[in-house]
Amino acid sequence: MVSKKVEKLLLKVQKPGRYVGGELNEVIKNKHDTEVRFAFCFPDTYEVGMSHLGMKILYSQFNSVPYIWCERVFAPWVDMEEEMVKNHIPLYALESGDPLSDFDFIGFTLQYELSYTNMLNMLKLGNVPVTTEARGNELKHIVVAGGPCACNPEPIADFVDLFFIGEGEEVDLEVMELFRQCKKEGTDKREFLRRCAQIEGVYVPSLYEVTYHEDGTIKSFLPKDGAPAVVHKRLMLDMDKSYYPDNFVVPMVEIVHDRAVQEIFRGCIRGCRFCQAGFIYRPVREKSPDTINAQCRALCENTGYDEVSLSSLSSSDYSQIVPLLEKLTEWSGEEKVSLSLPSLRVDGFTDEIMNKIKTVRKSGLTFAPEAGSQRMRDVINKNVQHDELMQTCATAFAGGWTTVKLYFMIGLPTETMDDVAAIAQLGQDVVDTYYHTPNHAKGKSVRVTVSASSFVPKPFTPFQWEPQDTIKQLHEKQEHIKKSITTKKVQFNYHDADTSFLEAVFARGDRKLCRVMALACERGFHFDGWNDCFSLEKWMALFEECGIDPAFYANRRRSFDEILPWDYIDYGVEKRFLQKECQKAYENTTTPHCRLKCSGCGAAKYGRGVCFEKRQNMV
Amino acid sequence: MKNVRIWFKKDFECRYISHLDLNRTMLRALHKSKIPIWHTEGFNPHPFATFPLPLSLGFRGVNECMDVRLEDENFSFEEIKNRLNACLPRGLRVFDVTEAIMKAGKIAYASFTMLLSLPDKSSRLVCEQLGALLQNDTIEIKKKSKKGIKTVDIKPGIKSAAVTELFDCAKLDVVLSAGSSDNVNPNLIIAALTRATGCEYEADVTRNELYNSDMEPFR
Repeated sequence: MVSKKVEKLLLKVQKPGRYVGGELNEVIKNKHDTEVRFAFCFPDTYEVGMSHLGMKILYSQFNSVPYIWCERVFAPWVDMEEEMVKNHIPLYALESGDPLSDFDFIGFTLQYELSYTNMLNMLKLGNVPVTTEARGNELKHIVVAGGPCACNPEPIADFVDLFFIGEGEEVDLEVMELFRQCKKEGTDKREFLRRCAQIEGVYVPSLYEVTYHEDGTIKSFLPKDGAPAVVHKRLMLDMDKSYYPDNFVVPMVEIVHDRAVQEIFRGCIRGCRFCQAGFIYRPVREKSPDTINAQCRALCENTGYDEVSLSSLSSSDYSQIVPLLEKLTEWSGEEKVSLSLPSLRVDGFTDEIMNKIKTVRKSGLTFAPEAGSQRMRDVINKNVQHDELMQTCATAFAGGWTTVKLYFMIGLPTETMDDVAAIAQLGQDVVDTYYHTPNHAKGKSVRVTVSASSFVPKPFTPFQWEPQDTIKQLHEKQEHIKKSITTKKVQFNYHDADTSFLEAVFARGDRKLCRVMALACERGFHFDGWNDCFSLEKWMALFEECGIDPAFYANRRRSFDEILPWDYIDYGVEKRFLQKECQKAYENTTTPHCRLKCSGCGAAKYGRGVCFEKRQNMV
Repeated sequence: MKNVRIWFKKDFECRYISHLDLNRTMLRALHKSKIPIWHTEGFNPHPFATFPLPLSLGFRGVNECMDVRLEDENFSFEEIKNRLNACLPRGLRVFDVTEAIMKAGKIAYASFTMLLSLPDKSSRLVCEQLGALLQNDTIEIKKKSKKGIKTVDIKPGIKSAAVTELFDCAKLDVVLSAGSSDNVNPNLIIAALTRATGCEYEADVTRNELYNSDMEPFR
């Protein structure tokens, strides 16, 4: 619902449909009948935020509770922001049109470090003070955050009142219930936060005191007011009983992933050493094929979508993928619904799976070998062999595909220029495989796209102690790949190293970075994840002004005994396991995946999931 | 197989979606409604629907239409209306379903109501400005095309125009050439007015009805 004042702006901006709400399945309640108003903020544009599954799950779940009204808020694109500021219109929620400052809770999902500035900017646009301190002690405007970046909340600790650590489905509601109780009792915000800290999975940064050594590393990290010394993540143990929406808000304007999304499992068995998701979501917990089938069908019926994407970190690792696809294709053809299976592993693309997804839609194929040389793939524990990749490509080519996208990373630990050149060689090998596949598409040429992003070391991975390559080194590696490609059939793309650098600074930053963030907000930084807005130069000037060396966070090798800013959080995977994995990386040694052999990471303590599956002798 | 014309209003939030977005929203609603309509037979079958005359983003439409092919000729029109409304966002409301009597190519005119205002200025002033503009023998606007900017006279495309002074705005009721050849978009009148006066207007435009070349309502 938009006000007359907003309507006047809408015809002056691009894609005004992003700012009006009113979509099918949007939840409207009477605000006077609810006790908790929650503004679910996605710190990016509508098109990006509306594609995000976590938001859909929590939006529906919150609204399934009668006393909560959860609404959506997205970051307005720069043209709309300008108009809103000029016309004194505060950032508003799409459902009610009410400004952010009317809400009890203002919640952010943190998917990406470069969206931090958008989070602060959204608070500012909503007339909500950005720091915990400035928001005062009254029980309102509680700023909460969750999502993968919450695994190192420290660079934004001054701005967020409480973080949800791990999966939100249960802990969010416990906090809402506590709020409702505190509101009745008339307690202040500080007391509410103190009580929140007792809920497992809640981290309240203001209840911790950090001191530093002279060299800038952490000396101590101490809880106060009874807050726990270690914050344990929350997770859903039984995925079949876990809340899942049977309904999505169906956008009218085109969004990035415009389809129904069905989660099939959480976690990943693989343990690729660069991948944060592969560790923080452990252990792997699957939904049963019957649950998935029923949920999929309900979603399609209620939204009208004609495409469902099966979502997970690695769909071909779903233990019952073929029976599942059989169940789904029983009705999907008739209902004219197509299935898509993203995140396929190189070794998971079998004839059987191919034929199932081919019956409905043929899109491009994307694989992520991540590294060019076998040695490098062993270092990162990708567990993909060169021959497997060629075999898979041959299967795809024989099945009529002519374009393949390959994703790689550069700047990985121990990487040499030879490893980098091997990326180009791998592209060439795929081209050769095409011409060696006897029944490839007649009269068509092959196109191989090679994309290289820059490695960003992340918390809770075996590489959390590693330095990131400098921007200069990354540029040299990009050039080296470019030079090593000799065919026009291979197209090379690479990500901007500047943004990867800033990402690395904030991914492993500490509370000292809050000052930089505050200043960035003051200066109007926003949309740093977008090339239109990002400027490393401006950021470097901010760092200098604050007397902070960003290389301290991005490019420094940390020692195993250093206290890391996120050490107080427990994601189930133990630090000693990560250290062991790091050592094994240096020795080019791989670790088998969870279904082959338990490596004792620590996640078995939750008592469910893959750790307790019967192990078959599968390869 | 029967050609069916579905009549709907496009207003509120849905004013702000483009024609492409409208198309996608309608197809999704048709899919969800399970009304037995003909689907395309390509690799990605989808419901087949055409729009006799697209509506610009930002305009309200009170008599909009969309054509589909019904596979079950005995399927009730009332049922189509009810099922679709249950599947559409609130800004799109189906109010009638009829047989498609005229071909889309017969559309020659469209009538609009345009409410124009200037912040902090009287509606009388806007009425006077409009009156002066419409009295000209030619109304030229610059149109961007692939070959660069060209000047077009839209006056011949204005079949009739009436200005009324309202409390907070000027109301312009116009009938304009419409269809695939000589279409005049109401925004062009606003652009011409801005060009003449230098003022930036706030406009609220509603498309009321479509007509054939004999000014019979399009059915």
